[in-house]
Amino acid sequence: MSDRHLVRDVLILIGLAVAALAVPALGSEFAVSLALTCLMYIALASSWALFCGRTRYLSLATSAFFGIGAYSGALALQHELGWLSAIAIGAVLATAVAALMGAAVLHLRGTYFAVLTFGMTELIRHAVTYFEKSVTGTVGRVLTVLPERDTIYFTLLALALLAMATSIALRRTRFGLALAGIGADEQRAQTLGVDTRRVKIAGFALTAAFAGAVGAAMSVRWTYIDPPTVFNPFIGFQTVLIALVGGALTLWGPLVAAIVFSLLAETLRLQVPQLYMMSLGLLLILSVLYLPGGLASLRWAMARDAWRALRGAWERRLG
Amino acid sequence: MSLGAWLELLASGLITGGIYALVALGLNLQYGLMRILNIAHGEFLMLGAYFTWMMQTAFGVSPLWMLPASFALLMMLGLAVHWLCFRRLAASSPNLDVFEARGLMVSFGLLFLVQNFISFLWGGELRGYDFMAEPLKLGGAQFAANKLLVFALALLFSAALIVLLRTTLLGKGVRALMQSPVGAQLVGIDTKRLHPLMFGVGLGLSGVAGCLLSMAYTISPAMGEPYTVTALIVITLGGFGSMSGALAGGLLLGVVEALGMHFTNPSLKALLSYAVFIAVLLARPNGLFAK
Repeated sequence: MSDRHLVRDVLILIGLAVAALAVPALGSEFAVSLALTCLMYIALASSWALFCGRTRYLSLATSAFFGIGAYSGALALQHELGWLSAIAIGAVLATAVAALMGAAVLHLRGTYFAVLTFGMTELIRHAVTYFEKSVTGTVGRVLTVLPERDTIYFTLLALALLAMATSIALRRTRFGLALAGIGADEQRAQTLGVDTRRVKIAGFALTAAFAGAVGAAMSVRWTYIDPPTVFNPFIGFQTVLIALVGGALTLWGPLVAAIVFSLLAETLRLQVPQLYMMSLGLLLILSVLYLPGGLASLRWAMARDAWRALRGAWERRLG
Repeated sequence: MSLGAWLELLASGLITGGIYALVALGLNLQYGLMRILNIAHGEFLMLGAYFTWMMQTAFGVSPLWMLPASFALLMMLGLAVHWLCFRRLAASSPNLDVFEARGLMVSFGLLFLVQNFISFLWGGELRGYDFMAEPLKLGGAQFAANKLLVFALALLFSAALIVLLRTTLLGKGVRALMQSPVGAQLVGIDTKRLHPLMFGVGLGLSGVAGCLLSMAYTISPAMGEPYTVTALIVITLGGFGSMSGALAGGLLLGVVEALGMHFTNPSLKALLSYAVFIAVLLARPNGLFAK
């Protein structure tokens, strides 16, 4: 990666951040809520792509980390621990769970890994549901201590920026190279002296830290939380979908896809939720079949080549 | 507990176990043969159940006639899905690992698509109809006649598939492809014909399972997912690609679940099955019965 790219990427990021800063002051209530959804999925999808895109370990555990963050953050707020420490607690707990989970399953690759992370997510969701029902005796919790709307917004903006900045920085560090090496050929990376086990666990935990912090920040938006809402597997699927459709190996792909999907979700979901979900499914299938590199792999050159091929075929037919 | 109560408990476990086995066999066929881990498998079961329910309530067609009809419908659908998605995916993927990961994503897409299509058409509420609901007395225990029929038919179809794979030339070809894809192609087994066919048979079996389920239980658009998860557990128990392992695993899991739920707490059911699943996958990734 050249420094020209670095300067360009940082400039674009700063530009986007300034635009996002202006939203709460200028936009309506609806615009702010829309922007919040965008920021949430930007943070989730780019942090997912950090590890999973680079190493090609397909994790479906995002909703577990999100839910853990949401629950622990909400509990911390109710015990009046303050906003920032609530976010930190969410991130730390999710990281700890990810490190444990990673140590147990990261030696398995491919489908095994995907299915196991999904299974563990469901296990955690059912365990929390069972615990709440039989030990605490509640189905959900009403949050009474709520921060200002703008506090939530700026926290999420900071998290999204941090995720993007980490993604930019990671491309230029040994750690990022090690992750990419694992994705390309794990055995070779190991032979060349990368401690693959430790790198994988660290990467997985990094992804989880972001998901946990985002969960803690978003939990207060709902004012009432229960396991089915915060451990909703759909949050995890949509994250994976956004990263894959956008291009999990690229920097800006997940960001663009997150914005597109959030706009689509907010406009379609309220009127016809099933149609929204159906189009999500169709988009996922189409993008895997026809755009395995993601939206970001689309280039002008591709359109030009397609146009030339078409024109060539047309001229041959005429001639 | 009396003997009758024990019998009832055991039978209820075996009945659900029979359905598990049927679903797992279809999934196992797809994964063992083509490395397609079809997460949407349960959605096609739900499709078979809704198809049967619709024909029964709208036209009064007996659910028994719907067994071959759902098999045929779902098999056609399976051929179409394979032709549209997986054929192209197999051609464009550089290696089997990439194919597996992409296939998983495609089947997640199918899950969203099918489940929400049905919920769009008929809404999310529970549906059902009455079919042979009178109880049957056998040696001090009471059984619902429809559930016994469901069990017998599920076992019959599972056994039929296993016998088909064991004894016919077609089955030999399928088993050869599972053991060594390259070797099988070298001796002239036509992958391009067998793959879509077996994908279709897998979906057809899940359609039959759905048809059977609708005879005895209520149905809803979200009914498929637990069965997919259970089928995954069953094929990890029995070993990926092993057919008799899937049958034994399915029946075993049904009984374990019934006993576990009776002696502990029904809300622990999901927790128990996920715990079993993770423990088995971590300890014996090749299946309990692997040598």
